[in-house]
This record gives sequence, C-alpha cells and structure tokens, in this order.
Amino acid sequence: MSKDHDYPASTEVELVQMARTGNLVAFEELVARHRDKIYARAYSMMRNEDEALDLSQDAWVKGWQRLAQFQGDSSFVTWMTRIIINLCLDQLRKHKRQRTESIEALEENAGGIERQMPVITPNPTEGLERAELRARIDRALAQLSPEHRAVLVLHEFEDLEYKEIAKRMKCSIGTVMSRLFYARRRMASLLAGLKRENLE
Amino acid sequence: MKQEMELKIQAWLDGETSARESARISEWVARDSEAGALAAELRTARDGVTGNELGLRLPETREFYWSKIERQIQREAASASPSRSGVSWLARWRSVLLPVTGSLAFAIVMLVAVEQMKEPGFDEISATDSGMDAVTFHDQSAQVTVVWLQDNSQTVDAAQQPAEKPATDEASSETDLE
Repeated sequence: MSKDHDYPASTEVELVQMARTGNLVAFEELVARHRDKIYARAYSMMRNEDEALDLSQDAWVKGWQRLAQFQGDSSFVTWMTRIIINLCLDQLRKHKRQRTESIEALEENAGGIERQMPVITPNPTEGLERAELRARIDRALAQLSPEHRAVLVLHEFEDLEYKEIAKRMKCSIGTVMSRLFYARRRMASLLAGLKRENLE
Repeated sequence: MKQEMELKIQAWLDGETSARESARISEWVARDSEAGALAAELRTARDGVTGNELGLRLPETREFYWSKIERQIQREAASASPSRSGVSWLARWRSVLLPVTGSLAFAIVMLVAVEQMKEPGFDEISATDSGMDAVTFHDQSAQVTVVWLQDNSQTVDAAQQPAEKPATDEASSETDLE
C-alpha cells in the first residue's frame, strides 16, 4: 500500500485489512479513530489517569499483535473494548491481591450497608441538565469500590448480560447480581446526596 | 425483604428472568409497596447511569500517543523475533549446553583431584635380595621413574676396609720414604 493512500477516507474494514498485512499507517488511523473511547473505558474502570493511559496503550499493542484473530464478527472498536476491559480486570485483580481484605468485601458478604439504607423515592436525577447529570454520575462512580464499579460499567455502559460479566470477572452469576444490586443502591444514595449538596 | 427477593426484582428489571417468573414478579411489585419502591429505585439508578457516561478525551496528542504505541510494538516485535529464527535455536542450545558441559568438566576435575588425593604423588617400590637392595621412585605427576640399586656386599666390604687401610697406606708411605 502506497504512502499516498487516503487513510482517513478509508472504511474501518479496509483499514483493518491493511493493518492485518502489517501496515502500521493503517493501524495508526484506527488508533486515532478510537483512542478516546478505549481510554475512556479504561478510565471508567480504573479511575486513574496514568493507569488508564498505560492500559489503553497496552491494549493497542495487544490489538496489533492479535489482529489475525479478529474475525470481524463484531466491530473493530467492540473487539478493542473487549481487550481493554480484560486488561483492566486483570489489573484490578492484581490490586485486589495486593490489598488486604477490604471493608467492602466484608460488607458485601454480610449483606452490606446498602441493604439497610432507606429506598430513595424521589428521582435524584430528575430535572438535571445532561452535562450536569453526567458529571454527577461520574463523581458517584468514583466513590464505588473497584469491584462494584466494574460490574456497573460492564452492565450499564457495555450492556453485557450477567453470564458474560461473570465470565469476564471470573466469578459466579450470584456475585455479579449482588455486586450490581449494591452498586445501584449506592449510586442512588450518592446521587441523592449530591443533589442535596447542590440544593443547599 | 429477603436478599433473594431483592435480587429477583433486579433480575426482572434487567430481563434476566424467564417469562413465567417475570409475570409473577411483575404482579408482586405492583401489589407490594416495598417491592415497588425498591424496583423504582433500582430502575432510576440503572436508567440514570445507562447512556450517561462522561465523554472523556485522551489527554495526549495523536502523534505523541501513537509514538509510544509504535515504539512498544517495535520493541516487542524485536524481542519476539529471535525466537522464530535459527539463531535463537542455536542460542537456546548453547544456553543449555554451556552449563551442562561446565558442570561435567568440573565434575571430571574434581574426580581426578580426589583420585590423586587418595594416591601419593609418587610410589616407592622396594625389592631386596640377599646381595642387593633396589628402591624405585615413581613420580606420577612428572611421569618419571628412578631406580636406585645398592650392592650390599660391596658396601659391607667398603665399610670394613677403612679401618685397616689407613695403616696399610701409612706403612706403605713410610716404606716409600724409607
């Protein structure tokens, strides 16, 4: 493929085909198109800019090395998202091994503080501007434990089923269900709290 | 409410229950205020988060970000490629053979040294008969054998002679002077 080829005008399928033959310029175009999405996914799971940058970079290198395995069953960005999610989950597992048994884990096993929380009846997201709502959700997500956040991200942002999340996170479906339940209740409580703070 | 029931409400909201179970839970949520309130809270939390991910932009320029990825790709390709070539095959053999041959050589040296410690550096073999003594020295390290022969009969005669001989000599010399 000549250097004069119009890469920005190429379709994703064309770029993937060129990259599979070893064309780094075509791959660079794919990176440029999806780098924000891959970085955002890493950041939503890790909540650390440096770690998200490093992991997103590793994901692109892995993507290049495994291009031959990409069958085209899903879109290229979906395939890349799967790679970054797996890298983030591996990293979270490393973090978990490093720290002692967390309070969240104890709470989760015992039923968790969220079980005793009163149900939030008024909708805490009602009447908010979309930008404000997104910022508030982001702040609330940052306050969740990594395990609860990961389940929420995989279910609400990636639209994965319980079974698929359990497979990715190497845990039971029951664990996924209970983590998702506590994550949602915590989110409802945090969003209500953030709304109260704004009103005061 | 039992935790199992709470999780069932959530599974129903997420479409993870069978049609029959869905109908049963739907009826229960409509009838029970506590179940209904929990279902409403979970639905609000879910719908609020879904589709409201903060749009983030990578905090690096396209060129800088790509340069790091490109370098890593090239570095990993360089470290992976020798394993696919013949050079690496030889290198791997060398890395196995070197310590093995080194250990073998050391073992042989040690064996020889132990053997040498068991045996003296030279042997002394003596052979005697009535008239002659023979002593043999063999130095293994120098590969030299020395045989020393001693005629006992002559030694005895020679030892006996000096007592008489000076007198004879003196006499003869005196005789000569005279």
